[in-house]
Amino acid sequence: MDTASPSGGLSRRQLIGGAAILAAVIGVPVAALRGDLLSGDSAPSERRRALLRQVSQIVIPATDTPGAGDVGAGDFVLLALDHGLEKSREPLPADAPAAFARHARKDGSLDQATWLEAELDARAGGDFLAAAADRQAGLVAALDAEAWGEGGKDLPWRTVKALILTGYYTSEAGGSEELAFELVPGTFAPDVPVTPQTRAFSSDWTAVDFG
Amino acid sequence: MDFDAIVVGSGITGGWAAKELTEAGLKVLMIERGRNIRHQQDYATELKTPWEMPFRGEGDQAAYARDYPVQMLNRHFNEYTQGHFVKDSENPYTKAEGTDFNWFRSYQLGGRSLTWGRQSYRWSDYDFAANKRDGHGTDWPIRYADLAPWYDKVEEFIGVSGAAEGLAQLPDGRFQPPMALNPVERHVREVMKANWPERCLTIGRTANLTQAIGERGTCQNRSICARGCSYGAYFSTQSSTLPAAMATGRLTVVTDAVVEKVDYDPATRRVTGVRYLDRTSKTRKSATARMVFLNAGAFNSVHLLLNSASEAMPGGLANASGVLGTHIMDHASTLSAIALMPGFEGRTTTGNRPTGVIVARYRNMEAMDGEGHTRGYSYQGGALQSTWTAGKRDPGIGADLKAKLRQPGMWRMVLVAFADCVPRASNRLTLDPKAVDADGIPQLNIAFAFGKEERAALAQAKADAAEMLTRAGGKVIMGFDQPGAGGSAIHEMGGARMGHDPATSVLNRWSQAHDIPNLFVTDGAQMSSSACQNPSLTYMALTARACDAAASMLREGKL
Repeated sequence: MDTASPSGGLSRRQLIGGAAILAAVIGVPVAALRGDLLSGDSAPSERRRALLRQVSQIVIPATDTPGAGDVGAGDFVLLALDHGLEKSREPLPADAPAAFARHARKDGSLDQATWLEAELDARAGGDFLAAAADRQAGLVAALDAEAWGEGGKDLPWRTVKALILTGYYTSEAGGSEELAFELVPGTFAPDVPVTPQTRAFSSDWTAVDFG
Repeated sequence: MDFDAIVVGSGITGGWAAKELTEAGLKVLMIERGRNIRHQQDYATELKTPWEMPFRGEGDQAAYARDYPVQMLNRHFNEYTQGHFVKDSENPYTKAEGTDFNWFRSYQLGGRSLTWGRQSYRWSDYDFAANKRDGHGTDWPIRYADLAPWYDKVEEFIGVSGAAEGLAQLPDGRFQPPMALNPVERHVREVMKANWPERCLTIGRTANLTQAIGERGTCQNRSICARGCSYGAYFSTQSSTLPAAMATGRLTVVTDAVVEKVDYDPATRRVTGVRYLDRTSKTRKSATARMVFLNAGAFNSVHLLLNSASEAMPGGLANASGVLGTHIMDHASTLSAIALMPGFEGRTTTGNRPTGVIVARYRNMEAMDGEGHTRGYSYQGGALQSTWTAGKRDPGIGADLKAKLRQPGMWRMVLVAFADCVPRASNRLTLDPKAVDADGIPQLNIAFAFGKEERAALAQAKADAAEMLTRAGGKVIMGFDQPGAGGSAIHEMGGARMGHDPATSVLNRWSQAHDIPNLFVTDGAQMSSSACQNPSLTYMALTARACDAAASMLREGKL
């Protein structure tokens, strides 16, 4: 897998063509990244897509069901960041640390994907994607722990992680294989015993919105 | 005259007016400002899964920030339902300095009947007598007994599921079988009953069918009603009143038509019809009728009356009193408490019940036990479990996180207070003197603020909620005592209040303008007080009652 030479500014045609190649190599569904939905300055490099795929897979790995990278959650994160999901297009505060400010978009919001790529490469001492799988997982785990540790609540990782979970559990595999999905339940059973086989419903909209 | 009656608006009350007036034998024109939406054919996202949506149901938040900055705050607004809400960018309104008000709107055939919360409660004489009792606002010219038979009629037609509890403050109705409480809710109900016998938690009374009515099927427990329901299992204009009105052969429906003015003839002191902008042909048209019903939604009906000012009525149509636009209200609401509820980890539910619970009002009834307020508050909410979205809040990655999110999460109980909103003259609607919309029509200006009474009620509601949930074994993790922005309850009402005295009110006991016998306003604009339970059922009952009276008056030559 070619993970070298991060590049930006791909045309949409290049992007879609690149996506097809990447899909053939690493199995990312082509349809997961809708190039037509990306704004002009947001076309990600193939390396960034690969990195988000890998990070997604670390957060939700493949078990008896696919992992988040497998189902295109990485591409969803890029799309979601572009369109402001999880408040990702809100402007950075004026006193934002330089580590964030240097990754600001034109509209003043943080480009979390750029930040993540730089952050993980720095933590890896070079190329995150070239690191061994265990080390990659350890670096992401450390970042996650910091985000929930003292002073960590403003780390952009929380936004990225939230979008990885959204990308996974709203995918067909995450929503209907890993969890249960029933668009037309028909009945409401108010009191059902929980067993080891019980799976949460991704179609429990109240739980999704307020749980 | 072109028609016997013109009904402006096709939402919850407009549909009822069309149904009742056509069934009374009248030839009716119903005018809707928004697009046509056909039942069962035009609910475009009804059966979509998240993975079929461009943004997985979350929507394009950047586009929402531009075009839907208010509507996106509505709890029913999402990527599936956005087509059932207005674009704020195309439908502006202005706010007075210091006003924080979110005006949620749905301009389409069916209006907000497609997106409403479906909670259907009778008001009681604690509500109809509230203004007289504490001196705020003006006394209602009706009491519960005047409306009870109309509640019966409406409930039987729309279908309301609920449990009879024998509460004076939340009268029982003609209910379909209730939906079930889950184990946590049952437990909280029993704890409340044991500790505070006057407090009753009951299943929400909701206009979702548990028994079929005619062509309308039973609720499928999807709880995605605002997408539109091809089963016809919740009450909407499309599922219920429109088919009935159309079946008479006496209804004409015009969509994409914005009514700009109601025409008034000073010689006869009657309205003669309406003028409207046909958005399809971009032309201005008119229609005439022997009477006009305004059902455009509380604020838009007031807007239309204000915009219909003439030389004969310079302050606005039917505004001899000068109170038109004043005393608007919305329930003061806030999340009083959310508590983790341990001990139920072995239980869960399947299916999506499309209603929560209600804790009926219990303050300021026989004893005036409100602290700093004279009216009531009730709670709505319920017990729910978390699911994968809880993973956003906690540390952890990898197989352990995946395994944790596989099963239903912790139970929690939520109580949201709705407090009675005192009617105040300073809370009012006016026409903005400068700003106009794209059609050149003056924008509505909203001046609104909650007062010390609502804040006191919400403070007491917060304390009570924490006490009740703690007594039930819950661990309260959050609670608020300040109201959200005005409009948050989506129960905006008032502005053309009903009253005894033509000098201090706009409408009489029949929802009929004091000044103009053939003009009726039967949506939320007519409300003189707000109660603390959802108002739509009362709007429907008042509309049915007014239609019956209007048809009789017409037959008797009194209009």
